[in-house]
Amino acid sequence: MTIVGLVIAAFWFVIAVIAPLVAPHDPLAQGVTLYDPPSAAHIMGTDELGRDVFSRVLWGARISIPLAMLLVALAFTIGGTLGGLAGYLDGWVDELVMRAADFVFAVPTILLAMAVVAALGPSLFHAVLAVVLVSWPGHARVVRGLVRTTMQSEYVAVGRLLGSPTHRALIVDVLPNVAGPVIVLAALEIGSAILLLSGLSFLGLGARPPTAEWGSMVSTGAQHFQAWWIGVFPGFAIVSVVLAFNLLGDSLRDVFDPKAIIKARGA
Amino acid sequence: MFLCLGVSVMAFVLTHLVPGDPAVANLGDRASSDPIAVKLYREHFGLDKPVPVQYVVYLGNLLHGDLGESEQSRRAVRTDLAEYIPATAELAITAMALAILLGITLGVVAAIQRNRLADQVIRVVSLGGMSTPQFWLALVALFVFFYKLSWVPGSGRLDAAVLPPPHLTGLFTIDALAAGQLDVFVNSVQHLILPACVLAAINMGLFARFTRSAVLEVLENDYVRTARAKGLPEVTVVFRHILRAASPPILTVVGLAFGNVMTGTVLVENIFSWPGIGQYSYRSATGLDLPAIVGVMLFVAIVYILVNMVVDILYGVVDPRIRVA
Repeated sequence: MTIVGLVIAAFWFVIAVIAPLVAPHDPLAQGVTLYDPPSAAHIMGTDELGRDVFSRVLWGARISIPLAMLLVALAFTIGGTLGGLAGYLDGWVDELVMRAADFVFAVPTILLAMAVVAALGPSLFHAVLAVVLVSWPGHARVVRGLVRTTMQSEYVAVGRLLGSPTHRALIVDVLPNVAGPVIVLAALEIGSAILLLSGLSFLGLGARPPTAEWGSMVSTGAQHFQAWWIGVFPGFAIVSVVLAFNLLGDSLRDVFDPKAIIKARGA
Repeated sequence: MFLCLGVSVMAFVLTHLVPGDPAVANLGDRASSDPIAVKLYREHFGLDKPVPVQYVVYLGNLLHGDLGESEQSRRAVRTDLAEYIPATAELAITAMALAILLGITLGVVAAIQRNRLADQVIRVVSLGGMSTPQFWLALVALFVFFYKLSWVPGSGRLDAAVLPPPHLTGLFTIDALAAGQLDVFVNSVQHLILPACVLAAINMGLFARFTRSAVLEVLENDYVRTARAKGLPEVTVVFRHILRAASPPILTVVGLAFGNVMTGTVLVENIFSWPGIGQYSYRSATGLDLPAIVGVMLFVAIVYILVNMVVDILYGVVDPRIRVA
């Protein structure tokens, strides 16, 4: 299963890089055959403007995957820093950060994201900002919890008694404990980031036409119901990428779960 | 209470400090080029005052249960919400019930059949459910079951020719039963089933995954072995001994999954033309209808808090050790 996830994810990474080389047509070039069902010439058919759906799906990888990775990195930088500070400093900083995180948690992601995008004006960049805004608390909570438990552990206390400076405890003891779960979270978050981003695009709040973005392609498909291939294939692309990252995250979780490790060793 | 206040501040600040201009968004091109119309509009909705003043006025009104006036429908936000909430409630409750029932069943089966074929199949199915964009699933379902097979009626809560049942709860299925209108009940169930299934998919996967790991934790306990050794039927062992001990983490995730349902309703209601708060919030957000957005956020946050309070109480019911005073 891990292998399957890895292979699919790697496949899409490669596609994202080489899409211009392998796509048989220009994703934006309009053709004369509109609503052409899948055939040898257009293996995923053509859309309402005669564009090649297959090429557009391939080009779509260049948008969704890098953006999802970028926004998970941003969300982690913000959430991780705030969560780390909250866990380390405790007191009112902790209180402030965690209450802010609670507020974001209490409002469903898409409501908040919609409000932000609608206010800033629909664009892919604003959609990314909105998703970062709603996804940092997850990282903050995880990092805070890990930093706290590690800082309170006995080996950190022993290290301090022996006179090692705080930054040493943070780098040597805290960082390795935080890294594992954060990697798992990042893998799972990339999946949900792609889902949310394409959802916003589907609602017309993210990528604007004629950009070849999967969510907005599904939205176009929804307006041309009889030509099922316009919306179905980009959807498959989303499912396969998200599934790949979920499979990866799921397997990584087993790897990094200390309980699972103990069980595996038979201790 | 504190959290509600926080959500209202956040929603308010967020929606007011952004550059979009509601007057332009709602008046249309011609009216918004007329400075007098824009000025009147601003005065009517109190937008000419500074943001902190607007917030204090809003809070004052909120204390009387007044959520302000929607800038799009020109009605009280409370009236709007009262109209749209029952539709969403009916959809969300059905979806949650389906997800809990299926998800927990699959999770238990997966745990008991650990690492065998059934476990692997359930893993792919549940991760697949979590990985599928709901808007796409809704479209595919609509295409297959409505357009191709005609098994279910299309969008909306009832056929166009069917009158809604007399208003009691606003949930058409229950109202129809209460009024003894069996045909209306059947019609509303037919309309409900497809969007509810689509909405249930993502949470079903989530619940199955969590149930599986929670059940695995308790499966190796001595009391489970004892129960089996006593010769108790497997059903009793699963329900009385395993599921009960495994339920706290499952409950937590059910409480948190409420957010998924709301996110799902925005997308699913749009596709199925379901007249609920998902659609309402989408219209409000795109129309920069500030009072409506803040109202929806506040309502949803309150429901989220209530749901998680119920979850906390249920902890005590299943595990007397953590019963709170």
